[in-house]
Amino acid sequence: MKFVIQRDRLLASIQDVMKAISSRTAIPILTGMKIEAKEDGITLTGSDSDISIESFIPKEEDGIVYVEQIEPGSIVLQAKYFPEIVRKVPMNAVEIESDGQLNVTIRSGSAEFKLNGQDADEYPQLPKLHSEDSFELPADLFKNVIKETVFAVSTQETRPLLTGVNVRVQDDQLHFVATDSHRLASRQIPISAAFDFQNVVIPGKSLTELNKILDENQDPVEIRITNNQILFRTKHLYFLSRLLEGNYPDTSRLIPNESKTVLQIDTKELLRSIDRASLLAKENRNNVVKLVTQESGKLEISSNSPEVGRVVEEMSVEEISGEELRISFSAKYMMDALKVIESEQVKIEFTGAMRPFLIRPTDDEDLLQLITPVRTY
Amino acid sequence: MSNWTEMSAVQPVVSKMLINSLKRDRISHAYIFQGARGTGKAELSRLYAKSIFCKNRTGAEPCNDCKDCRRIDSGNHPDLHWIIPDGASIKNEQILKLQKEFSYTGMESERKVYVMENADKMTANASNRLLKFLEEPGAYTTAILLTENSQALLQTIQSRCQILALQPLQEGQFAELLNSEGISQSSARLLSQLTNNYEEAMEISGQEWFAKARKLVVQLVEVLETRPNEALLFVHSQWMPVMKDREMQQLALHLLLLWFKDIIYLYADRPDSVIYIQEKDRLENSLRHWTRQRATDCLQSIMEAKRQLDQNVHPALVMEKLTLQMQR
Repeated sequence: MKFVIQRDRLLASIQDVMKAISSRTAIPILTGMKIEAKEDGITLTGSDSDISIESFIPKEEDGIVYVEQIEPGSIVLQAKYFPEIVRKVPMNAVEIESDGQLNVTIRSGSAEFKLNGQDADEYPQLPKLHSEDSFELPADLFKNVIKETVFAVSTQETRPLLTGVNVRVQDDQLHFVATDSHRLASRQIPISAAFDFQNVVIPGKSLTELNKILDENQDPVEIRITNNQILFRTKHLYFLSRLLEGNYPDTSRLIPNESKTVLQIDTKELLRSIDRASLLAKENRNNVVKLVTQESGKLEISSNSPEVGRVVEEMSVEEISGEELRISFSAKYMMDALKVIESEQVKIEFTGAMRPFLIRPTDDEDLLQLITPVRTY
Repeated sequence: MSNWTEMSAVQPVVSKMLINSLKRDRISHAYIFQGARGTGKAELSRLYAKSIFCKNRTGAEPCNDCKDCRRIDSGNHPDLHWIIPDGASIKNEQILKLQKEFSYTGMESERKVYVMENADKMTANASNRLLKFLEEPGAYTTAILLTENSQALLQTIQSRCQILALQPLQEGQFAELLNSEGISQSSARLLSQLTNNYEEAMEISGQEWFAKARKLVVQLVEVLETRPNEALLFVHSQWMPVMKDREMQQLALHLLLLWFKDIIYLYADRPDSVIYIQEKDRLENSLRHWTRQRATDCLQSIMEAKRQLDQNVHPALVMEKLTLQMQR
């Protein structure tokens, strides 16, 4: 294998790929970075076995030549040293060459490094995703969907399946659902293409990583699913994640379809008010804040820690209808839910103090946040 | 041993069972391979894993040449998880990690195999966690627990696994092999009692402390016989400085154990089985000091001491207690 590459382009790719490489892996080869040279360009691969990132550097793009003198081949290099070497070489052109004995030479200007490589055959084979089943979403929309759902996944490993976001297709809608069994976040987006795939659970951690890598723009992200992995593809980046195994619980039944008390309220104001009330709420007692409707048509938000003190705040609402209500819930969950809602006003639907309640933006029917209340006396 | 033909020569019964399971595609979700040191538990599980993952399998034989087989040999196969004790025991976190690993889909294939060496070294927490996960195995998951003593595993774990007992190695065979490699006959006999692993045996025989330990064992017995009052002093001034870690302590105690075993052999009139052949005179001499009953008691005390070492009792205390027991 041999090629000459532009340093800056190579560095950018290395940085993307490094996000997947961890120094603490069960499989020794995964501490390395795979470099594969083909006639049309160079592919870098990094993986921690949960997620894998592939970055492709084309030989030439928009008239700019990035890679020259390609001789096909592949090698795995230690990810601990390779990026630092590339960052510090003196010239912009870097020549990388490997012989048949896994010895790699990196030359740039007058500097020459010799590294011991590892056999690329030892590297895990990423699935070849040829399936026709794929769909596209604009990157910024997709990033938004991730932001709106992934915070609600469980952080406990006791029920591993709940650490992921469930994705399924139903009635030409793509459903994203995340829950930790105390709260739930759900987002639907319409998809145009008639497209069918089994319901999958994507690990929350993978989505968080993906969110960091995707740029905030309109470029499409192509999504493909196979039996054991899911692929997100942008122009030159492949992001693969393993899926979580098991049957995701049916969450549709959790969502109440009737309501007894309905509020419409300013999102930011409510968020700030809850935030204030939570200052005196105890973390070890679920950060409980209390919400009480008043006859005057106002809301009272309060929190009480006998050892610390008490806070009460009155809030005016846009609209209120239905029964009177006293309900307690976790301030943290409420704030998490409100933070991802961008519309000015939210509608909150309650069905009694012991039943979960729903929060929706007023201008968007497709986003839904559900929180279960806390029992207090 | 990289194929079933070779494996069948050493472990015919177990090999046959595993080969049949492969041929009929009835791979169990959990196995316990039980067998003494060096009976080839790890090799057997590696071979079995190869047969499971190899795509060019002929019958039960893996090809040993494809990517999967090669990566199993080099420890780089992404769907084979090999767990070894972290320090003295297999910790809860290791099982936790494994559990997380198995809630994910496979990296390359849908099959996943995990092998746990010294499974009896799991902590109580780890065992219970593993149990939970043996109860609800994934469709294509195979667990292989390796242990020298399956009774040391939780009853509830045993009952969820298929237990395969490996045959002990032919006695004498290994000693002859070592002898033919240029190790003196007396050393070869001793080494074959300490380990069944060729490389390990060669390594131990090359170490200086092994020779010292042998001498110390003989000396300790002599001190116990002639000047029992000085035994404690001997242990502190001579024995302890040489045995620097638990592993050495264990091996040295094993050497001591063999001495008393020899005494019993002599009482039982089986001089051919004696291991310390070069010390025949001393052994004969020992017979006058140790009655058959006393020798058996000593054997028991040594076993107890070995167990305590495993349970993290301070080595100096273990040795003191042992000498006091043997002085009596």
